[in-house]
Amino acid sequence: MSHSYKHGWLKLKRSVVMDVTKFLMVVAVLIWVMARGTQRLPLMFGLVMTFRITAWGLVLSMTIGLVTALLRLSNSLFARIVARGYLELIRNTPLLVQIFFLYFVLAPIIGLSRLSAGVIALSLFEGAYASEIFRAGIVSIHKGQWEASHSLGFNIFDTYRCIILPQAIRRILPPLTSQAISLIKDSALVSTIAIYDLTMEGRAVIAETFLTFEIWFTIAFMYLVITITLSIVVNFLENRFRIQT
Amino acid sequence: MQEKKLGDYIVTVDKINKTFPNGVCALRDFSTRIRRSEVVVVIGPSGSGKSTFLRCLNGLEEIDSGSIVIDGVPLDENKKNRWEIRKEVGMVFQSFNLFPHKNVLANITLAPRLVRKKSNDEATQMAMDLLGKVNIPEKADSYPSQLSGGQQQRVAIARALAMHPKVMMFDEATSALDPEMIGEVLDVMKNLAGEGMTMIVVTHEMGFAREVSDRVIFMEDGYIVEEGTAEHFFTNPQKERTKLFLSQIL
Repeated sequence: MSHSYKHGWLKLKRSVVMDVTKFLMVVAVLIWVMARGTQRLPLMFGLVMTFRITAWGLVLSMTIGLVTALLRLSNSLFARIVARGYLELIRNTPLLVQIFFLYFVLAPIIGLSRLSAGVIALSLFEGAYASEIFRAGIVSIHKGQWEASHSLGFNIFDTYRCIILPQAIRRILPPLTSQAISLIKDSALVSTIAIYDLTMEGRAVIAETFLTFEIWFTIAFMYLVITITLSIVVNFLENRFRIQT
Repeated sequence: MQEKKLGDYIVTVDKINKTFPNGVCALRDFSTRIRRSEVVVVIGPSGSGKSTFLRCLNGLEEIDSGSIVIDGVPLDENKKNRWEIRKEVGMVFQSFNLFPHKNVLANITLAPRLVRKKSNDEATQMAMDLLGKVNIPEKADSYPSQLSGGQQQRVAIARALAMHPKVMMFDEATSALDPEMIGEVLDVMKNLAGEGMTMIVVTHEMGFAREVSDRVIFMEDGYIVEEGTAEHFFTNPQKERTKLFLSQIL
């Protein structure tokens, strides 16, 4: 029984790896062709900036999301109130207003750079949504798992780390991916505080060349490539997790 | 059954009360004392508070009043005491509650490594010994979903034993099993009793109660209706309620 099971896993792993590799190669070639063909290097600079923003944003928003979820599920009333307050405040105001507030009001006071202000605003916004996803995932784990951990003497940290989160992560990966994709798309909003990301570079290029159609089309396509790449990587992860169970 | 020497009192439960938020009163002034190496079987109709009694003993449920002392450690507000008791009291659940994302070996070694700070080698060695004891050493690398119910429950017993608990509690450990698998789990429990483990067993298996237990407690509505040795209890019950229950179940 365990033999066939291992065999199945190898077969699946190989085919997925092949698919992902092929896809990444196609993406690389497309980006190369775009860069060569259009001779629009500013767009590539913008792409790199968008990558930087989303990479930081993903790390920060996932951390904020997880911490907020744990606070909301904690026994401390104070922690629950703080987490709930943050969630409602962020979720019920527009991201654009938050970005402006952070950049024009808070950044001069606490000395944040343009990029930090953008990344922090984005992370706080997406983190609020991510926290609800984490919380749903954690709550969905059967309470018997908590009771078993309790009766074996685990502390709360070990229970989360070894028992609850590894099981929850499998369930929340799909909605978390949607959230990550939102983050990538929402990162275009930081162009409003003159961060030269993909969207901002695009606007600059259009201002010089008046190639409105071509440039916006290219930019949309580039965002699409990033988000689809992410979806496929997560899909791969999902298969991996599922097979191990 | 062979004569067995019982030790001093390891569990002392004094007038505990438990009412659930929905108003159901599960335990009323419940008191009992359990000796080292004693096997106590708790029986009673559903909703009589048997499971709640077990769950209070290791802190899964909070008691409203009364006191619980296990091996000299009171189960009170003190977090250190509570943790001490959780480590020393093993529990086996009706629904097994194995960790589905970990294989059998990891299920058993996790607690000794994290809580008892055992080395990986030491914990693995012990886990293999325990798997031998519950007769499924060949399943060490399987995942819980690949095992039958009886096998899963035996892994759960091994997992609890890996903490070297002073008291083992079984909360309807065989109720979720197919009939042909009940025997293999009961055998493991019998062996455990033979080794002198202190056991509190909530069960509907009257055969097990009669054969293995030193004392039977019959509960209803959060009270002890009647208690006594297995022989006394099954052959010569005193209370009408006990007679009625036994006539329905036997």
